[in-house]
Amino acid sequence: MFRRILALVKKEFIHLRNDWWLPAFMLFGGVLELMLVGWATSRPINNLPLMVLDHDRSAASRALVISLENTETFALEAMVDDFQTIEDALERGEISAAIIIPPDYAEEMAAANGTPSLSMILNGAESIPATAALHAAEGVAATLNEELIIKRLKLSPDEFSGFAPRLRVWFNEALSEALYTTPAEMGLMLEFTTLLFAALAFSREKELGTLEQLLVMPFSSLEIIIGKAIPVIVIAFTDFLLMLGMVHFAFDVPIRGSLPLLFILAFGYLLVELGKGMVLSVIAKTQMQAFLLVLLFGMTDFMFTGYAAPVESMPKALQFFANIVPAHHWLEILRGILLKGAGMDVLWPHVLALAILGTIIMTFSLRFVRRALD
Amino acid sequence: MSLRHIWAITRKEFNHIIRDRSTLILVVLTPLATLLLMAYALTVELQHIPIAVLDYDRSATSRNFVQQIVSGDDLDLYAQVSSIEEIENLLMHGDVKAALVIDPNFSRDLLAMRGMPMQIIIDGTEPESGGFAVNHIASRAEEFANEALSSQMQMMGFSTDSLKPLDLRIRTWYNPGLKPRNDLIPGLISMVLGFPALSVALALAHEREHGTMEQLMATPVGRAELLIGKMIPYIVAGLINVVMLPLLAMAWFDVPFNGSFPLFFGLSAIFMFAVLSMGIIIGVFMKTQAAAMGVSFLMIFFPGFFLTGIFFPIVSMPEIMRLESLGMPGTHYAIIIRGIFLPGVGMEILWPYAVMLILLGFSFTGIASLFFRKKLG
Repeated sequence: MFRRILALVKKEFIHLRNDWWLPAFMLFGGVLELMLVGWATSRPINNLPLMVLDHDRSAASRALVISLENTETFALEAMVDDFQTIEDALERGEISAAIIIPPDYAEEMAAANGTPSLSMILNGAESIPATAALHAAEGVAATLNEELIIKRLKLSPDEFSGFAPRLRVWFNEALSEALYTTPAEMGLMLEFTTLLFAALAFSREKELGTLEQLLVMPFSSLEIIIGKAIPVIVIAFTDFLLMLGMVHFAFDVPIRGSLPLLFILAFGYLLVELGKGMVLSVIAKTQMQAFLLVLLFGMTDFMFTGYAAPVESMPKALQFFANIVPAHHWLEILRGILLKGAGMDVLWPHVLALAILGTIIMTFSLRFVRRALD
Repeated sequence: MSLRHIWAITRKEFNHIIRDRSTLILVVLTPLATLLLMAYALTVELQHIPIAVLDYDRSATSRNFVQQIVSGDDLDLYAQVSSIEEIENLLMHGDVKAALVIDPNFSRDLLAMRGMPMQIIIDGTEPESGGFAVNHIASRAEEFANEALSSQMQMMGFSTDSLKPLDLRIRTWYNPGLKPRNDLIPGLISMVLGFPALSVALALAHEREHGTMEQLMATPVGRAELLIGKMIPYIVAGLINVVMLPLLAMAWFDVPFNGSFPLFFGLSAIFMFAVLSMGIIIGVFMKTQAAAMGVSFLMIFFPGFFLTGIFFPIVSMPEIMRLESLGMPGTHYAIIIRGIFLPGVGMEILWPYAVMLILLGFSFTGIASLFFRKKLG
């Protein structure tokens, strides 16, 4: 049996050798692309264009503008003289926010019981930068408030502990965005690469009519499946290693937990995805169908990796659904081992879920693929 | 170039798609299904974030404070703990996303108006939930301090809101309440509308792989005609989605559509042309469908998701990546679609993006038909 499987694996690799550049492109192109995307998007949101309408033109108002710029969230687009300019710029989508300083700003700041005010307009047409702008402005306002209180209550700054909480961040002390976005992006790339190669396994032979030839040879269907699976797993695992190395060295994503454990679980996860890809591969009649199915399934799974929204905040039905998505458990495991240094004592629920899902998917896909082949 | 030739190719391609019903369903429904899912999953408003509380003060004031922190829908009290180790354990297991530690001198300092000594610990692996908890605890703390100190402040001759003398008034235009779904859903529409480009790349590679491209080339149909004819069925499939997806967004997700629909339709058609031309280039260069899949995934799909400014603002990207994003039709279309949906702007503002799309479309088709000859010749 092993000899025959070996022959099949050899055949697959000959295929790959003739088309050698495709796996190479998917592996190295993928890693390069992950690096570019990670580089472009794993950073705090900054450089948001801001317009200022300063009716006050005082030292205090200039100081305010400087502290807004110092947050680095904003880049001063222009100091303008009338509201119309702001309105036009907002409509064109040229600025994320505008701040309007009233004529009495400095006066109210200085008065013992003054109530200075500021107006800020956010461009809600893009909620993500607008939210970042909102938080940055609130931060500046909070600092100013604290200074005012200390001055007005005649407190000494060192006995004043402030009304805002102190912040400590665990597992990601520098709050680097790369530490949580790159694992999700990596998860997406890895899943798509695995699913694509797995989905091609049978749909390609089917479309080109070579599947019949394979079936009349003295191979059992199980041997065919294993022979098809091995090259995919080799490619997928290589992809995983390359991407892990890249995020570790290029983005300083730490590996705090046990590396052997990560490898074992990664291998298990890839087997699960492989099983899924094989099912798609026999459902699809053509390669185009296989591709569209991969797209649909891959995107569905990506939703539950916590890239844009945490699973805990999703509607209850979707939270339940997340449990049957292998990628969800895989990302919990990946982040847990890389960032938190978690071991099996912490990760076992996800490992168990992955094992159960894996058993179900593998059994189903074996039976399904065998039936389709026989 | 003759319309009759183009039509012949289009009809052939249509027959291809329609004869194979499941491909038709997939081509038309994949964008719709993906949008539906992503709209549900990615535009959630954060709420019920579990937090742990460690109260070293154990006074009536601190108990009241904790009560007030978890009184809303935003933060849920997962556990009251008695040591930092317990917090560490909860964060490690992911049971809580943030923890509030109240210092022993919390109530004493508060009544002396020296502040509210406390600390928030967040899980840096999920900064979104953590940051949310920080913002909400901070604003509740402010309210609490205002209430607790109002009588003292009045005695000292200050108005009650003196803890926050500076009033920052926020107004949000186009999207009151900053609901993420109102702008993310239009952004996602711009992404899924790019899917037909993947199909057209595969359709071209399909002819190459099966060796039928030579037969087509032997007919009197010209190169550009062949490419355009190939594109049209997918433009039509795309335009069906152009009508369906905004309806879905408006009816199901309550996203306001403030602009003009004919304008939206017209600009979407231009976008279809541009993005499908990108698919055509890939289809022209790739000899097998497998290769077309891999390349279009890496060149169209992945950057289309991350680099067109839907999730991460383009102004915050490094210079080079900003240039790359300008070369992608999705970037310009995302701006157009958001402009039409929310502020409801018209051609007087959107024309530069429309021009960019047309330029990109023509240069892509130009490159494609140029290499098309060489590849076959």
